[in-house]
Amino acid sequence: MPRFISTVTSIGSHEARVLWGTSLRVARLFLSFKSVLVCVGILTLTILSTSGLPSTIAIRLENQQGAHPIFKVVGWDQIGQISTQSARFGMDQWQALFAVYVDSGSFEDALPPMLGSYRIEDEALIFQARFPLQPGLRYRAVFTSASEPIILRFEIPKSEAIVSTTVEHVYPSTDRLPENQLKFYLHFSAPMSRGEAYTRIHLLDERGEPVDFPFLELDEELWDREGKRLTLLFDPGRIKRGLVPYEEVGPSITEGENYALVIDRDWRDAQGSSLKQDFKKFFSVIAADRETPDPKSWLLNAPQAGSLQPLSVEFPEPLDHELLMRLLEIMDPQGNFVEGSIQVDRHETRWQFTPQEPWREGNYSLSVDTTLEDLAGNRVNRLFEVDVFERIEERITTTTVSLPFRILSE
Amino acid sequence: MSLNQSRMGLCALLMAVLFTTAAVSIDYSSSLKAGKAELQSAGPLAFGPDGILFVGDSVGAAIFALATEDTVSSSPGRIDISGINEKVAALLGTSADQILINDLAVNPASKRVYLSVSRGRGPDATPLIVRVDASGKIEEFSLDNVKHARVTLPNAPDPDAKDRRGQSLRMEAITDLAFVDDRVFIAGLSNEEFASKLHSIPFPFEKTGNGTSVEIYHGAHGRFETNAPVRTFVAYEIEKEPYILAAYTCTPLVIFPVSSLTAGAKVLGTTIAELGNRNRPLDMITYEKDGSRFILMNNSSRGVMKISAENLGSYEAITERTDIRGVSYETIDHLKGVQQLDRLDETNALILVSTDSGSLDLKTIALP
Repeated sequence: MPRFISTVTSIGSHEARVLWGTSLRVARLFLSFKSVLVCVGILTLTILSTSGLPSTIAIRLENQQGAHPIFKVVGWDQIGQISTQSARFGMDQWQALFAVYVDSGSFEDALPPMLGSYRIEDEALIFQARFPLQPGLRYRAVFTSASEPIILRFEIPKSEAIVSTTVEHVYPSTDRLPENQLKFYLHFSAPMSRGEAYTRIHLLDERGEPVDFPFLELDEELWDREGKRLTLLFDPGRIKRGLVPYEEVGPSITEGENYALVIDRDWRDAQGSSLKQDFKKFFSVIAADRETPDPKSWLLNAPQAGSLQPLSVEFPEPLDHELLMRLLEIMDPQGNFVEGSIQVDRHETRWQFTPQEPWREGNYSLSVDTTLEDLAGNRVNRLFEVDVFERIEERITTTTVSLPFRILSE
Repeated sequence: MSLNQSRMGLCALLMAVLFTTAAVSIDYSSSLKAGKAELQSAGPLAFGPDGILFVGDSVGAAIFALATEDTVSSSPGRIDISGINEKVAALLGTSADQILINDLAVNPASKRVYLSVSRGRGPDATPLIVRVDASGKIEEFSLDNVKHARVTLPNAPDPDAKDRRGQSLRMEAITDLAFVDDRVFIAGLSNEEFASKLHSIPFPFEKTGNGTSVEIYHGAHGRFETNAPVRTFVAYEIEKEPYILAAYTCTPLVIFPVSSLTAGAKVLGTTIAELGNRNRPLDMITYEKDGSRFILMNNSSRGVMKISAENLGSYEAITERTDIRGVSYETIDHLKGVQQLDRLDETNALILVSTDSGSLDLKTIALP
């Protein structure tokens, strides 16, 4: 009679071993257990036949936490024969012999095998997964020899989530926004995951009721490369006069009302952890802004020569924070860019530039890219929406506007 | 006639045939070189001629042309796959909540479906192209050694360059692309300034930055002119002239001739329809049925819309507020949750649709 022995020990790798005899009855018995061998450590399953010394087949998982984990079939007595044929194997033939599957979800039986590459090395059949294994997920390795399949299921332990990501800033920072406010910038302390932004961001009115579809929901969420800044546009159809959404349901936010922008803590960061806490920004709404920013109205405070004091530029209204960081430049008397750092504060109504080298006496200029926008998307050279009947706008076609200032000696 | 004369005559004839052939057909593959296609992200997809797949790479600020060499219809037929997101995730050794299916395109030559996929949802996600056929087989289209060409977007922020202050937060999200009249058209949306940029790059790609970018303006009832971003667009031919039919993020449907898109031009598109509040256009296809031309558009909250595309060339722009908002359309109510749409063949479309259970299904539907 065959003996059926299983032992579990705990060391740092996975293995299922079958001492494989000639008894198909035993193999069927083995399969009748449906191979529910979820293991954390070594699981050894031994089947001894009644005749002679058994051959031993085992599935091992190596480099479990690596970028390309390895699943290895060892102890297969036909490996030499396969080795000579394997040069002609296509992926389908390899997978018919040995395949690894994700072992979760509602389509378990219809899931395709995982991507990876095959080879025979040191008398072992090796499948090297293309991608890392995911903590918390179950996998199933199936070795199908000439007789019966050997199946090993295992689970990658879930690592403890570190919850530390927060919303660091939301721009505009002011709590008074025009009715035709165009966008928010949300800055996070760590990279975030894509694909769930619009289910995690809510706009609530002063009764706490959610505003229906206030934002432009794009599949291509507008992140920066690091995944730490999201640009959130209000629905432009509810900003532009004359369009059906604006005429029928009105703007997303209404003058005189109060709102809260709410960011759910359930939003996952790129590591899969939720945010540390909810974030709320409260604001009230003022009249729509339908005027272009006018650099002539800006107040420049020039420092003295020889100092490293910042040049300060004050605006009569808040401007787009991110564009202020990029579209204003200081030019020296020779027309070269001046290197330095920028600070934007006072709710984006003040821009300051601190040079790397002390100011020198002479005529400098502030160069303004005319694509600079105010909170309502009105550019220096163009309103957000142009009334073509009234033609109230004089279009500026240049790409920059230059504001001269003089650095005087002490 | 001597043997030499015969040979010369034969050569001349051969040359004439060769030149004639060259004059009427473009070797689209000539610019494609074998090697690893180093995509940084895989977004919008569009097929061009000869099984060439164009892929929008927003993170890399580039367009890739990939030779799929998949030009023979192997197993045509309906494609219906439940839980395609779970199955693609399983192929990639992960769970459905760790991938994104960004776009789909049907290869008109083989009828296989190509999906652009991100494995991972963070900024370091791996971009992949996966393809599916009517038998249900799901496989990776490997980018490791593929004939390809890459071109950077005109005037796009260089992904590798930081500005003088070490900041590089600006990106242009590619929202759609199409191959029209030997050019790749790309709609882009900046994550900073609000503008409509439609790029056009001749194909085969010649050199970096040889494309042009134009701003498309459109009216709202003729009064307020805006240059909002194009969300999705489709090529449309009127009296043998190619047009672009564009759906804007702010709902109007606008048409303009491809010939108007010259470098630096300010193009004023003709608003031919307004599709109303909560319309969020995602994809458009054109087709003919019973002798009439239609546009099928899916949007995230209103299901799928069937729009009459008859006589668009002679259509008068909407210039004042009326109850009739341009061309007529109907909403196909039972088609909800359609995230992606492409034409499968003359009579069927392929959709990627989300179900109540949260899974995504690939489904073949008859063109309505």
